[in-house]
Amino acid sequence: MDNAIEVTGLAKSYGAREVLHGIDFEVPRGQVFGVIGPNGAGKTTVMRCLLDIIRPSAGRISVLGAEPRRADPDIRRRIGYLPGELALEGRTTGRRLLGHFADISGPVAPGRIDALAERLGVDLDRQARRLSKGNKQKLGIIQAFMHDPELLVLDEPTSGLDPLMQQEFLRLVHEARDAGQTVFLSSHVISEIQQAADTVAILREGRIATISTVAALRETAVSRLRVQTHLPPERTAQLLGGLPGLGNLRLETVHDAGGSPVCQASAEWAGPVADLVDVLPRLNPVDLALEEPDLEEAVLALYREPGTGEPVLSGRKSS
Amino acid sequence: MSTTALHRGGAIHRTRFPLLVKSLLDARFSLVTWAVAMLAVMCLYLPLFPAIGGSDQMQQMMKALPAQLVNALNYGQIASGPGYAQATVFGLLGFLLMTIMAVSAGAGAIGGDEESGLLELTIAHGVTRTQVVLERAAALVVRVVVLHAFILVVLLVLKGPSELGFDAAHAAAGVLMFALLVLLNGSFALLGGAIGGRKVHGIAAGAGVAVLGYAFNALGNQNPDLEWMHAVSPYYWAYGDSPLLNGVDAPAALLLLGVSAACIALAVAALHRRDIHGV
Repeated sequence: MDNAIEVTGLAKSYGAREVLHGIDFEVPRGQVFGVIGPNGAGKTTVMRCLLDIIRPSAGRISVLGAEPRRADPDIRRRIGYLPGELALEGRTTGRRLLGHFADISGPVAPGRIDALAERLGVDLDRQARRLSKGNKQKLGIIQAFMHDPELLVLDEPTSGLDPLMQQEFLRLVHEARDAGQTVFLSSHVISEIQQAADTVAILREGRIATISTVAALRETAVSRLRVQTHLPPERTAQLLGGLPGLGNLRLETVHDAGGSPVCQASAEWAGPVADLVDVLPRLNPVDLALEEPDLEEAVLALYREPGTGEPVLSGRKSS
Repeated sequence: MSTTALHRGGAIHRTRFPLLVKSLLDARFSLVTWAVAMLAVMCLYLPLFPAIGGSDQMQQMMKALPAQLVNALNYGQIASGPGYAQATVFGLLGFLLMTIMAVSAGAGAIGGDEESGLLELTIAHGVTRTQVVLERAAALVVRVVVLHAFILVVLLVLKGPSELGFDAAHAAAGVLMFALLVLLNGSFALLGGAIGGRKVHGIAAGAGVAVLGYAFNALGNQNPDLEWMHAVSPYYWAYGDSPLLNGVDAPAALLLLGVSAACIALAVAALHRRDIHGV
């Protein structure tokens, strides 16, 4: 069996409100598959269906070769799950809590819990209610990873983690992939998916907008172009405006380091670089910047509601 | 229900009833608190029987009270030892305390756990929903059994000095019916939580059944026209035949047990049918 997860026509309604409108995707074994989308897009709903926490209204799901609803519960011992809204019992220590989850989960290798706790820097002997949100999240990550499951389903795994711990988490994900484990993770932060995932699905309003490799997504991404020239604005617009790969051209007059006025053109660039290079000698630029394609821009474009042009995402800037 | 597993090397120890054990470990402090409360109630009331229940003044006061009030409070037999223990501990304050205990435990078992978001993570592990309901219901049963065993011990110690005038067998019969009644209230709470997914649904179901059972018993006592209410009052099933005086009413005991079992079975079915909600 090549796919850890196969989903066909998955739909979910709560009463009259349909939150997933029939989505299809598959996650090959050994891959890191990321789902991004704004809050409310349906990421958590998909994950809960995979774990048989909620039941689909329509469609078929296969997880590790079995349908979650009818599968032997032992199949969930081979899955590690981190809920998006992690709730942990407060009046017990992390160690006891993880011991309990080890009881109802796959076998945990001796010393594995302590090793993970040390890497993530969480004190297992403190009561869970005395831990910060980030440290609680670390307990959640440990219980998902501790039995080295075949499949990890992680809903917004880095929420509450500081940047250092986010890096440590990414290392855990990469180690899991290197060990042949499959990782299915969601985020509303693009940079996280960019660094962790091989393939990314973009979920918007209960539909998959696109599924693509991270590399392919980057190719569709636009670059930001900024040129300063002594040519008059009309001439600059004439030269640049004819290029097919150029969009959203803005012209303004700024002052260079010596205080003399120059024409600055800013635009988005999605065409071949050669086209741009051809026109540059005639522009005679005094300054030029073509920034690296921004994955976030590419994703935001896919998030945009048809018609409004407004992004519906709130998230950090990608690095 | 046991957790058989894919042991690698077989060296890893796994708890046999993990959810039951966890529930009981979590409940150990509250169990002690409830035991202390029951001890206080019993030590407060029972030793007073020679001075109050049996005294002539009390008899006269009972005669002076309206018959309806005496019936409503189940104080009709208060002059006898079994009647006094029944009216004070088994029928009133003890019933109240143990019902609160069982209803809150039952409501928290599924509904409260789900409402707080904990159930989502539990059922994402290698357990079935049936197992979750059954192990947590078993934890409720254990709590009721442990507390009532303690109540029985206290009763056996106090009944002599308090001149209650019933033997150990009748004491055990009274405590058994008490325990079955409390378990029934707790089972309805568990069912309410399993259907509604929130603690308040369980509290409403358990407390509702307890209050209605008590009220139907009291109303049935009042008036022959309302005696049919006894038939639908778990409180009457448990206490209608005065177990401290007459021993266990076996059909009533089986009825109480059967209804509790039905509640648990319905809770299993209810939890299987629906989505589990997170926070």
